[in-house]
Amino acid sequence: MPSSSIAAPAPLPNVTATLETRKTIRVLAIGSSSTYGVGASSGSKNYPAQLTDILEKALRGINVEIINRGVSGEVAKTTAERLRVEVALTHPDLVLWQLGTNDALARVPVEEFENTVTSTIEWLKENKIDVVLVGLQYTSRFARDDNYAAIRDALRKIAAQQNILYVRRFEAMRYISALRNAPPMVSGDDLHLNDLGYHCMAEHIAHAVIANLFVRRFRPPTN
Amino acid sequence: MRAPNEIDFWRGFALATIFINHVPGIFYERFTHRNVSLSDSAEMFVFLAGWSLRFVVTNPGQPLSAFRLVLRLVGRAVVIYAAQILITVIAIAIIAAASIYFDAPPLLEWHNAAAVFEEPVATHVGLVLLSHQLGYFNILPLYVVLMTGAPIVALLDRASPWLALAVSVAVYGFALFGGVNLPTWPVEGRWFLDPLTWQLIFVLGFLIAAPGAGLGLFARRYHHALRLVAIPFVVAGGLAAWFQYSPDPLRVPDPKLFFMFDKTFLSPARLIHAVALVALFAGSYRYIAWPLPPLAAYLSMLGRNSLNVFCVGSVLSLAGQIARFEYGGGIGTDTVVIIIGIVALGVTGWVSEWRDRLRARQGPQPSPSSPPQLSSPPVSSRRAQPT
Repeated sequence: MPSSSIAAPAPLPNVTATLETRKTIRVLAIGSSSTYGVGASSGSKNYPAQLTDILEKALRGINVEIINRGVSGEVAKTTAERLRVEVALTHPDLVLWQLGTNDALARVPVEEFENTVTSTIEWLKENKIDVVLVGLQYTSRFARDDNYAAIRDALRKIAAQQNILYVRRFEAMRYISALRNAPPMVSGDDLHLNDLGYHCMAEHIAHAVIANLFVRRFRPPTN
Repeated sequence: MRAPNEIDFWRGFALATIFINHVPGIFYERFTHRNVSLSDSAEMFVFLAGWSLRFVVTNPGQPLSAFRLVLRLVGRAVVIYAAQILITVIAIAIIAAASIYFDAPPLLEWHNAAAVFEEPVATHVGLVLLSHQLGYFNILPLYVVLMTGAPIVALLDRASPWLALAVSVAVYGFALFGGVNLPTWPVEGRWFLDPLTWQLIFVLGFLIAAPGAGLGLFARRYHHALRLVAIPFVVAGGLAAWFQYSPDPLRVPDPKLFFMFDKTFLSPARLIHAVALVALFAGSYRYIAWPLPPLAAYLSMLGRNSLNVFCVGSVLSLAGQIARFEYGGGIGTDTVVIIIGIVALGVTGWVSEWRDRLRARQGPQPSPSSPPQLSSPPVSSRRAQPT
């Protein structure tokens, strides 16, 4: 799958800097249901767990510690409050924040959603914590839902403005579901990615982390 | 049936606002007091639950033996537990039905329900153990734990109300210091409302409700002064809520939970604000009830039947969310949701009391399997105990 169409490339400066001095990175995975791997065959196969595997294999000697704080059905405002507390208590280097689906369903006003997400990202940046946004799920029925589209656009816009990594799950899942004879990546309910889909998502995040590390390592300092 | 009174009124007020606040994004949310209050209806509800515990424990006229007291409180815990299981199952069914009817599988993710459908084997165990709670269905599990621990509180209070307070504060400080909370399972996480910290506001309600001893006596004797002390806290909490200020969790000193405005752990700021609200508004009921008797009667009726009203309210908030999902979140939909909610809560209270009145008219039914003194108390006296 074309990488550029599902993950907006963006730097992870703090994780990269951390890995130059330490061998451990701590990741806080927060957000709605897929954080703990709904639709995956076992809890260990959710995307944060897979991300750990990929990163630890690719970067030998690196230890990735994942803290899962996923609650399904939460709107971003609730998660944002919890996120600050969890960050303070767990001190992560990277936050994986899955969001959007439930705000679209609860018909949360888009401006309110944008404000919540932007202020939280700014707070994380101020405190030198990287963040990856993981976007909405794709379902055929919501492909044309206005509110769903508005929340999706808001996320894309925020990620571009803030220059942060954004995993466009909607596009990825639509791509998968449109492929003929594709291996089954979407589980029975047409909504949750199964293990392979999670693997794909984890790979994209890992790819960004690794790419950043190498860019940093081999590019001469600009100033 | 009790006449409208202050405790029932505020309990009804908390129930009505919990119903509104549990429909996120609803237009009328902006008129609830949490916009100008650091603590919200959850604190009020738990405080008043502690207050009601006083009536059960004191049992006017005939003090209960320790054994009967424990039996009674554990019995209450079982009733609340049963209510929690019932509304959870109804909520799961509503979510499932809505996802089928509206052809909307993402609804299955709502309210932490995803695990129920995707990992049913472990999650069913979690539901029964209360280690899996649906979003917004997290007050009754707290209440179950508090009621299960209530015999300890009541017996400590019999020894000395100050001892009960000291133990409660110690547990609170310990939990806050270490961030100790009950785990959730199978979804990795923690309880939304930590029973180890929230027990303190429950115990405070219980202790302050006692007019003649300990904290209750102190609060009554110095109420005027306490009211003045409360004003700056209420104002500061109001400003913090209005300007959405909360201390940056990364900037506060350790132990961080002492200095945050955290709801899960009931940080001291929220607790102090809730207690200050009580000090400031205690006694204000008569000024509300005098010009607005229908409001006083309506909210008191909700408060008298709080468990039933809470259960119906929880299910209705979920239905309201689904209505907003399907019909869009506009002021029109929201107005319909609110009107239906207010009427349905009222009907719930009214039907509960109507059923009791019918039973009272028939007279108490003697139970052949148990001696008369152990049979259920007459309905009139049972109703007099806040639920």
